[in-house]
Amino acid sequence: MTEDDALAAKGAPSEKGQARKPLIKLDKLSKHYGNHTVLDGIDLEVMPGEVLAIIGPSGSGKSTLLRCINYLEPPDGGHVTIGDISLNAAAPAGRSELSTLRRSVGMVFQSFNLFPHMTVLRNVSLAQERVLGRSRKNADERSMQLLSRVGLADKAEQFPGRCSGGQQQRIAIARALALDPDVMLFDEPTSALDPELGLEVLAVMRELAETGMTMIVVTHEMSFAENVSDTVMIMADGKIIEKGPSADVMRNPQQERTKRFLRAVHDR
Amino acid sequence: MSTADLFAILRGLPWTVALTLGAFLVGAVLGVPLVAARQSRILPLRFLAMIFIQIVRGIPPILWLFIIFFGLGMSVFPISPFNAALAGLGLIAAANMAEIYRGALASIHFGQWEASSALNLGRWSTLTDVVAPQAFRVALPSAASYLIGLMKETAVASTIGVSELAFQGNQLSQLTFRGLEVFALVGMFYILLSLPVAWLSRVADGYLQAKVAR
Amino acid sequence: MLPSLEELSAWLPDLLSGLSISLQVTALSLLIGIPFGLLLALGVLAKSRLTKIVALFLVEVGRGAPALVLLQFIYFGLPTTGLTLGSFTAAVIALAWNTGAYTSEIIRASLQSIPHGQREAAVAIGLNRLDALRYVLLPQGLRVALPALLAFSILIFQGTSLCFTIALPELVSRAYEIGSNTFRYFPALLAAGVLYASISIPAALLVSHVEKRAGSYAQR
Repeated sequence: MTEDDALAAKGAPSEKGQARKPLIKLDKLSKHYGNHTVLDGIDLEVMPGEVLAIIGPSGSGKSTLLRCINYLEPPDGGHVTIGDISLNAAAPAGRSELSTLRRSVGMVFQSFNLFPHMTVLRNVSLAQERVLGRSRKNADERSMQLLSRVGLADKAEQFPGRCSGGQQQRIAIARALALDPDVMLFDEPTSALDPELGLEVLAVMRELAETGMTMIVVTHEMSFAENVSDTVMIMADGKIIEKGPSADVMRNPQQERTKRFLRAVHDR
Repeated sequence: MSTADLFAILRGLPWTVALTLGAFLVGAVLGVPLVAARQSRILPLRFLAMIFIQIVRGIPPILWLFIIFFGLGMSVFPISPFNAALAGLGLIAAANMAEIYRGALASIHFGQWEASSALNLGRWSTLTDVVAPQAFRVALPSAASYLIGLMKETAVASTIGVSELAFQGNQLSQLTFRGLEVFALVGMFYILLSLPVAWLSRVADGYLQAKVAR
Repeated sequence: MLPSLEELSAWLPDLLSGLSISLQVTALSLLIGIPFGLLLALGVLAKSRLTKIVALFLVEVGRGAPALVLLQFIYFGLPTTGLTLGSFTAAVIALAWNTGAYTSEIIRASLQSIPHGQREAAVAIGLNRLDALRYVLLPQGLRVALPALLAFSILIFQGTSLCFTIALPELVSRAYEIGSNTFRYFPALLAAGVLYASISIPAALLVSHVEKRAGSYAQR
């Protein structure tokens, strides 16, 4: 089964008659901290509706890759293309380009990063008002829909500090969805959570995947990589070691490095 | 601005330094019994110390100087401007140093007292051997920045006629009608004076930290 | 030694009007000085080198020189350039500068104490720099800064006593004047001291209460 077959089998939206074009395309993306190479010329394509899981040992550059995609950390070489926007890392990015890029990319952080001084509802509504220019009323309506979708409409008037970690992360997902992004980035969304709280977050992510959202997920959850994602990519030392349909990579890895990593994870 | 003018201002320097160091010394010494009273187990003593500290800090320094120099000096006992300033600023320094000591003592983890009781060290020995040396290190940076604050505070002594920096600046400004340069220069002297204190504090803190790290 | 009742009632109107001027100078200095401090804090954190240098200069001089010298620089110094200010205006300018310099450090430290993830989240949801500051960073930063800002306000209230030296008829000037007219320095100055303490001490107690509450807020 090829990658595209896997996508088709899952029913990813591919409009007929139109050549299938990747939604995200990274060309020779690189990032250095001083002499240390964090990303070493990453080439990557992600199709619309595809769910890509990135796994690998810590320090492999997977989080940095994610943060370079929405320019939270500007890459220092290569190109980032998302939909119609294309940024060249060699040239300084313009403000309007960055703003368009970030509007089409939602991001969920390991430590949630909800705004503690605002109610849950304001957390989700803020960007709709300030970035999309929606009225308070319209923004709040949309926010309530999103909060219902993650099962937390009853928490709207609470402050984030009163919610459990799992609830906070689901709110963070609703907040990221509020700008109707084309792609969602997840940076180890369950790593800061107790296992049972992680499950409720994974359930929300699985539902999101089933609606056809394009997702890139840096994770340590092997079951998510194996069962939910379409594609799995293994990274080490700033390079892609192996990439392919999730079932293939997880059950029948080709690279020695991948085998070692998966064995280490299973033994834990 | 001639060199002579510069020297006229510089004549105030020894007085500023003497007043700063003198008041700091008075405060650092008197602060010890004051914080002891503030932390005492005897409630009335603790209360009195608290009231004393609050009142001293609740009244502006210039008013303390006036109360001592004009208030007491003119009716009870004559006192020289310098001694009045030393007494007033020393009093204020004592209250502030007591609070700095208290903050430092409070920052020592409760476990240190517990561990000392477990070793049967006794209250006095716990304080002098275990807590005070650690508290000293914590108090040092605050004490240094207070010393700099106190140095700037000594400028109020000019109002009762102590011939320190601000006083000399005032005289010169009236003499030359060039207040802009004169006061800019006076301000610069205060800033320059604070640099060695800040530097010494950093060096001492670095040294003590290195000692702990080893 | 203590003022008699007759004396007190004779002096009180004068002293209270002095206190009112002290409070006016305090309020205006804070009202102008704290926003100025915010601007200076942003200036010091700015990327532009020139902005940074200008802001740093204003901060270092504003807190490095004694408030008394700032006051005299503006009141006695500026007229030599042809710009003459009344003592009230000079007092407000000097103390607002002093306030700005100190509060800029307080505000800068509290902005920097906000976890980095807050700024990242603001950027990631598409807010521009100004919106991130206005909606995410400042509300949290000012909450952290509040106890220190309140504590500083007490110092500025006490600092208005320095305006004695530029002939502003505030509380200390009034007490001193009464003293020199009646030769009853001690009771007059003491009365002024009581008035200062009756504001400073409750304010200090309030600050330590706010500090404790802020501490428990941070732990939540």
